[in-house]
Amino acid sequence: LSETAGGSIMSAGRSRVRNVIRIFISQLVIAAVCVMGLSLDANATTIGFAFLLTILGIAVYADLAAALLSSFTAVICFNYFFLPPVRTFTIADPSNWVALGAFFITSIVASRLVLRARVQATNADARRNEVEALYALSVDLFTSTNRLGALGEAAARALTNVGATGGGLVLFGTGASDREGGSPYDQEAVSWYAQQVVSWSGPQEDEIEDLIAGVGRHKRTLEFPARYGRDVYLPLNIGGTIIGVLAARSTTATLRALESAATLVALAVERERFLAAMAHVQAVREGDELKTSLLRAVSHDLATPLTAIALQIEALRSFVDDPRVVSGLDQVADASGRLRRRIENLLAMARLEAHSVVPRPEPTPAADLFRAAREHLSLIVQHRPLAITVAPDCPDVFVDPSLALEVLVNLIENAHQASGPGSPLELSAYRHPLDSDRVRLEVADRGSGIGSARASDDEASGARDSSRTSADQSSRASNDQSSRASADPSDTPRHGLGLEIARSLSVASGGQVTLAGRPGGGAVARIDLPAAHLPDAEEVPA
Amino acid sequence: MSGARILVVDDDESIRSTLAQHLAVHGFDIVHAGDGAAGYAQFTLTRPDLVLSDLAMPLSDGFALIQQIRQSSATPIIVLSVRGGDVDKVRALDLGADDFVTKPFSAPELLARVRAQLRRAGAAHRDVLEFPGLTIDVKRHRITSGDREIRLTPTEFAILETLGRHAGRPVSFDELIALVWKGAPGTSNDAVRVHVGALRRKIEPDPSNPRYVVTEPWIGYRFIAEPLG
Repeated sequence: LSETAGGSIMSAGRSRVRNVIRIFISQLVIAAVCVMGLSLDANATTIGFAFLLTILGIAVYADLAAALLSSFTAVICFNYFFLPPVRTFTIADPSNWVALGAFFITSIVASRLVLRARVQATNADARRNEVEALYALSVDLFTSTNRLGALGEAAARALTNVGATGGGLVLFGTGASDREGGSPYDQEAVSWYAQQVVSWSGPQEDEIEDLIAGVGRHKRTLEFPARYGRDVYLPLNIGGTIIGVLAARSTTATLRALESAATLVALAVERERFLAAMAHVQAVREGDELKTSLLRAVSHDLATPLTAIALQIEALRSFVDDPRVVSGLDQVADASGRLRRRIENLLAMARLEAHSVVPRPEPTPAADLFRAAREHLSLIVQHRPLAITVAPDCPDVFVDPSLALEVLVNLIENAHQASGPGSPLELSAYRHPLDSDRVRLEVADRGSGIGSARASDDEASGARDSSRTSADQSSRASNDQSSRASADPSDTPRHGLGLEIARSLSVASGGQVTLAGRPGGGAVARIDLPAAHLPDAEEVPA
Repeated sequence: MSGARILVVDDDESIRSTLAQHLAVHGFDIVHAGDGAAGYAQFTLTRPDLVLSDLAMPLSDGFALIQQIRQSSATPIIVLSVRGGDVDKVRALDLGADDFVTKPFSAPELLARVRAQLRRAGAAHRDVLEFPGLTIDVKRHRITSGDREIRLTPTEFAILETLGRHAGRPVSFDELIALVWKGAPGTSNDAVRVHVGALRRKIEPDPSNPRYVVTEPWIGYRFIAEPLG
């Protein structure tokens, strides 16, 4: 690009030489007309018209200076050789002044007209060049590029085509400021390292960095006179956000052309980023689809043998009377049920994480959740009293029924495991006493209770506990399982895998689980869920 | 009801054999097939009283089987689906399935669904629908619970009649809107929920422990009491 400046100097020198030659030739033409008039012995009127036409021609084909000088020469020749008294300069005769005026006016008018036509033609050529450059840029940007570096190269070509001697493309938002999560324009200055120089030619002085930062901050074009043309810094604006700056140094291109180029580059950059984001989304979606199909297959493959086991246990029951065998079958059924629920838990968590299911909340009566949980845990509840209370003014809960059921089943199972044989469980639902937009479901038992430290911890942390580390969860889960296997239920700790899963699923349902001790012994798990807002009976069609 | 013929269609040999064994113990006559195509062949050959079908099967799946059976028969079809396959359940119901059981299911749950479907065929055209503790006299527009008469609005009565006639089978919101509101525009699922909520408060002896109407998540409602007689 820097070769263009040298080219401009050479071009100016050549132009001066051409002007001298033009003046010299125009003087020769006037002399030739004069000689021809003398040789033909033309009268004053004829030679006057001849000089006038000659000056008109010179004004058209040369320039104003040559035409004016030729007019002056022609008047002298006309006066000396053709106006009586010939061979004498006469300035008193008004014909001399008329001739001089006519020649000068012809020179000036014709030269101006020609000059204007030339300027317009030159401008038209420049506009055509700019349009061609923009078209080439758009083709470059939208058909052959698929990376930001290529965009920079295309921008550099476009700048060359519009006569810039330097400059380049700088993009924002790929550096430190982005990592800090803030817009670079919120700050007083944009750090250079927050910018990505896609392409640049010519020097990059500190003031250029400041200029580029200023364009980004003020969101407007900056122009400065340069030795040749001017320096222009154009913001790349997409929907009011400045994504970078296109700098054109020493350009004579119109602002409109430069802004069009900047718009094209901005669109191309945005398209590039959009394509990159789309590719990422596509990869994530394909990953999710793969996980979904895997989960579907795993669900089917795990559910099928569990179904066969459950059916086989029931079939065997009808063939045996021995109480020891019946007891053994009960234990197998119980273990199989627990395994089934744990698998369902894990699959539910995996589905949420894989986005294979998105929670779909809908108004659900609390009584139906309790009923479904009781059916789910039929083996548990047939051996211990289970009281269910739903307050008459309790609204429906707005939850994903499957997730809410998983939460409830886990908490009931947790309470069952912490309670002694025959100890009752109580399920209740009522409008939250402090928040009328929430419903509280409770699972209360008279089991082991919880330690005071844990109780206060759980009361205070609530659903935040779901963010505990998996290592912590695993450790507690394994401690839980081992102690449950050997000890009395009243000593059983409360923090098994089921409780943690209940907490995680509860958060996904828009709720939270807390665990508290109960006066008189035992514990109560509380699930706070959003209440459904159904219209009044008068507002719905009968 | 014992002696009814049941067609079991599942690609898993262990499910087929244990289901057949268990249902046979309870007096049902069992035929079975390993995929949808073989299932339809068995259906045309044996004309069972009820079909139990898995959905995901090789060659021809459960959806195709439901479609083929519904072209010529109203035989009750119970779908065996897996948890999380709610979209599949709705699709199966739309194609004409009568009920679904989610794997892994228990034997008593399956037997209850089978019996409910076998009974339902007889209840569809009766003028008086009788359930334990609840009688719906369709002709006289009367609901009684023991000796007590329950007053319902016309909409509540229509909902109860619809659910009672389809006892044991999930009835979708769309079906309820079509049958009760005759598809009136502007009738939303929430409108159905409001009326069903009011109905439950009137007919349920213990609203904390529903005996008659329960929600079927994302689908609609199910009348769970089994018809008498």
